[in-house]
Formats: sequence, C-alpha cells, structure tokens
Amino acid sequence: MTNGEWIIQTRGLSKKYRPSHALKGLDLQVAPHSIFGFLGPNGAGKTTTIKLLLGLIKPTSGSAAIFGLDSVRDSVAIRARIGYLPQDPRFYEYMSAREVLDYTAHFFFKGPQSVIEARIEETLELVGLADKADRPVKGFSGGERQRLGIAQAQVNYPDLLILDEPAASLDPMGRRDVLEVMERLRKYTTIFYCTHILDDVQRVSDTVAILNHGELVAYGSIESLLAGSEGIAYEVRLKGDTQPLYNTVCGQPWVKGIHAKAAQGSAEWVVGVRDPEAAEKELFRLLASDSQVIVTDFHIKAHQLEEVFLQIVEGDRHDNRK
Amino acid sequence: MTTGNSQMILVQGAGWSRGLANALHGELKRWFSTRRWWVQIIIWAACVNLIYFIIALSTPKAELKLDTTVMLFNIFLGLAGPIGASIIMQSAVVGEKKSGTAAWVLSKPVSRIAFIFSKLIANGIGIAVTMVLAQGFIAYLITYFMLGFHLSVWGYLAALGVHLVNLLFYLTLTLMLGTAFEHTGPVIGIPLAFLFVQNLSMNFLPAMALYVPWTLAIPANGDTSPSIAMNLMVGGPVPHLSPLYVALVAIVLFVALAVWIFQKQEL
Repeated sequence: MTNGEWIIQTRGLSKKYRPSHALKGLDLQVAPHSIFGFLGPNGAGKTTTIKLLLGLIKPTSGSAAIFGLDSVRDSVAIRARIGYLPQDPRFYEYMSAREVLDYTAHFFFKGPQSVIEARIEETLELVGLADKADRPVKGFSGGERQRLGIAQAQVNYPDLLILDEPAASLDPMGRRDVLEVMERLRKYTTIFYCTHILDDVQRVSDTVAILNHGELVAYGSIESLLAGSEGIAYEVRLKGDTQPLYNTVCGQPWVKGIHAKAAQGSAEWVVGVRDPEAAEKELFRLLASDSQVIVTDFHIKAHQLEEVFLQIVEGDRHDNRK
Repeated sequence: MTTGNSQMILVQGAGWSRGLANALHGELKRWFSTRRWWVQIIIWAACVNLIYFIIALSTPKAELKLDTTVMLFNIFLGLAGPIGASIIMQSAVVGEKKSGTAAWVLSKPVSRIAFIFSKLIANGIGIAVTMVLAQGFIAYLITYFMLGFHLSVWGYLAALGVHLVNLLFYLTLTLMLGTAFEHTGPVIGIPLAFLFVQNLSMNFLPAMALYVPWTLAIPANGDTSPSIAMNLMVGGPVPHLSPLYVALVAIVLFVALAVWIFQKQEL
C-alpha cells in the first residue's frame, strides 16, 4: 500500500507534556475499511493520539496524515470527512437529541433539509433513540448520551469513524448493538477505536495496536497478535504415567517447553513449540505412541486477547522497573 | 470527501469561516429559541430600570430634572451592564472548554476563528437586544410617559450605541480571558476588578477619564461633566471622544488576542 492509500499514517508522532511524554514516536498505519482496535491501559496515550489526529492538540514532533492530508495544516478538511465519538460525550444541554444531530449535520451538509431530516430519523432509529428524540439532552442517562454520541459521529456518512470507548456506559444489549453497527459500517468506512473491552476487540477488529506509557508495544493483525509472544502452543490432556513421555517430548528440538499441571486424575500440558510445522507432524504421533498414556484431549491453544494484552502490558511494566 | 447521500449538498471550503454560519445559528438559537432572551430582559429590567421606575413614580414632577433622572439610568446600565456581560461571556469559552463541548464542536469541520466569532457575534447580539435595546426602550417609555421629558430619538439611540461599545469592551475582554485561562475565577474576576479599579484610578490620575471606558456611561468620579452617553441623551455638547476610540481599539485588540490564543489552545 502506498502512502496515499492509508487512511491514517503516523510517523514518529510524539506529544510531550512536561515532564513526561504522553506519546513517544508512534508509527502506525490504518488500512481502508479496517476496524482498528487501539488498546492500552489508562493513561497510555490513546486519547492523546485521537486528539492529535483530530487537530485538537498539536504534536511536539513527528506527523500524522489522514487521507494523505496533514493533521495540523489540513485539520478542517480532515474533520469534514471524520465522525468522532469522545470518551465522555458532552453536548449542548438545551438541545434535544434531534437538534444535536441537526446541528452536527449542518456542519457537513447545506441541505436539502428534508433529506437531512430523513438522515437524522434513520440515525435515531439506528441507535434506538427515536422515542427520546425530542427530549432535552440535559435529562439523558450516560447510556443515552453514549448512543447519541454514536449517532452524531456517523450522521455525516464519515470516511473515518474515530470512537473513544464506544461501548462505555452501555448495557450488554447496547454493547451488542454498537458492535453490530460497527460491523455494518465497515463496508462504507474505516473505524479506529479505543476500548478497554477486549472481548469486543477480538470480536470485531482486524488490526490491533497496544500502547503502553505512550509507546507502541504491539501492533498487527488480530491473528498474529493472538498467536502471542509465546508463539503456537498445544493444550493436551493425558491419563496414566506421563513422566517418561514428558521427558521424551521435552527432549524434542522443536519443543520450547511444557507447562504441566495435574487436574482431576489427569495431567494437563501446555506444550510451547519452536517449529509449528514439525509440531503439527510429530506431536500427536509422539503422544499416541506411548502405551502407558491415553490422550483425552489435544488441540492448538486459542490465545485470548486479554491474556496477550496483560502479558504485553505487564511484561512492559517489569521491563520498565528494571 | 464525505460523499454521504448523493442528494445532499456538501458544505465546501476549509478556510477561517468554515462552520461559522452553523455555529452562529446554534448560538443564536440558544439565545432566542429558548427562554433565555426574555429571562435576561426581566433580570436586567430589574437591575437597570426598576429603581428608575420607582423614582419616576414617587418623585413629584416639579422636583424632577432631566439631567439627574437620565443620569440614574446611565449609571445603572453602566455598572450592571459590564457585570452582566462578563457573567454571560465567561461561560461561553471557558465553560465550554471545561465541559468538553468546545472539543466536541471543534471535532467537526469548524475553524477555531469561526468558533470564537460565533460566540462573539451571538452574545454581542444577545446583549445588545436584552441589555441595551430592551432596557433603553423601557427607560425611554418611563422618561417620556412618566417623567414627561421628550428626548431626541437619534441622540438617544447614539447614547445606546455608546453603551453597547462599553458592554462590548467587557464582553471581548472576558472572551479573551476565557481563551487564556482554564478556570472561571480570573475570567470573571479580572473584568470586574477592572470595572472598579478604573473608577478609583481617576481619583489619583484625573487624566485617566480621557481613556477609560467608565466615562462612556458614567461621569468620572468627582467630575461634574456628564458621560458621553448622558450628553448624547440630553442633547448636550459632546465631550471628548477619546474613551470611545480607546474602547474601540481595545475591542479589536481583545478579539485579535482571543483568536491568537485560541488557535494555539490544546483542547
């Protein structure tokens, strides 16, 4: 993909608030029509990155290009193609939900008013606020504000949707709806979003970046990240005398290590491998060849994003302590 | 470019005025499509015209003098007006920065200059209507029907124009401070302190009367010559206009500073 084809491309993007860096040399590319999950613990620099992309703050060094346009110089032109949901959406409280959407839409469209009104109606339906459309925002709950935030972010048919914690303050049904909306919108737009809900990321994202202490600590497709820093591992459940087999498997050159534990009369092993191809050919054969042992379960370990996230972030924390 | 629905007409351009029309429309709606405008008229009628009305009602006609009665209205508007303008304007920028609505609006295709101008123009119109025109109209009716003094309409309107300049001075000063500070304390405190300090300063430096906005509406402390607005109202000779020029230059300067500071602001 060439420079101009990335929806977002940052080069050494940094922001310093004395005395520390909120963001350090971020290099990132977001492809069109991807759902890009931007993760990190509190204070990692996620919201700072979003504000830099939107031109709400200026970088200390480095640059960001969105649609090939410079985030500082061309900020207004960029914002004309973006929809943004802030972490804690705040609107003018004297306006109703419908008025908020009308106000937002008129920053993008001049008319015709009937088409804009139809779009507003459609958006209100989409986020489930049609019955509360004419109530002042002042009386909205956190979840209703969040829904309105999502509505106003996509009322302009954005080419890029930036969502800061889109499922925060939503109940499980609301969360499910938001994920469905995101999946539906992928056809038309690119979604860049921050969240703490790792299950959601695993469900809808195709690319993930993890930020910690302002630094990018992991970045790639969800599959490559889920393969984890441990690489591929097999989960095995065995019955019988497993000690001789343990020694044999450990001695194989393609085995990285075995984490073994006893559970309900069985042994559970997690076998980490160096050479996935050799492991695929040899491991099961090796286990099955031992007549003292019965293999009751054998599968490739499916890493959960939460595990990977904690491993990366906590590993980074230990490194920083050293 | 956001293509949207092909039937929709896109707003074009990315210059300084991008978003101004819609932001201004929103701000004017906040003033005139809610109860705000008439609530403000009632508040300022109570602050500015209530005492004027009571005096007109209770003083025997033979004891009334045009100069002294009209002076009352000018003093009330000259004192209460700047306080009101500062209170109204302090929430416009610093309040929105604190609440997060400024960041929300500026995440849309709106230039920062357009954002500042929408606040300035809408609040300027709101104050002109509710504090100057409405109160001036009520005072004119009291003066005409209750006190029996016939004032020149043009002179009276010119005097209200001078009051508007006085209020715009405080409005733009508060706007500029709102861009510079993150808390309401200094944003409201500095204009109010300035309002009263300029009066005190004229005790020590009488020449200050030629420069401070105080003398646009209120006579200088201990000075028997009336203010610019009073003279225009009663048809007296127009005194030195230097406070008017100084106020106009300061207004332009405050707006320029507000834009300059806000352009650099991190939201």
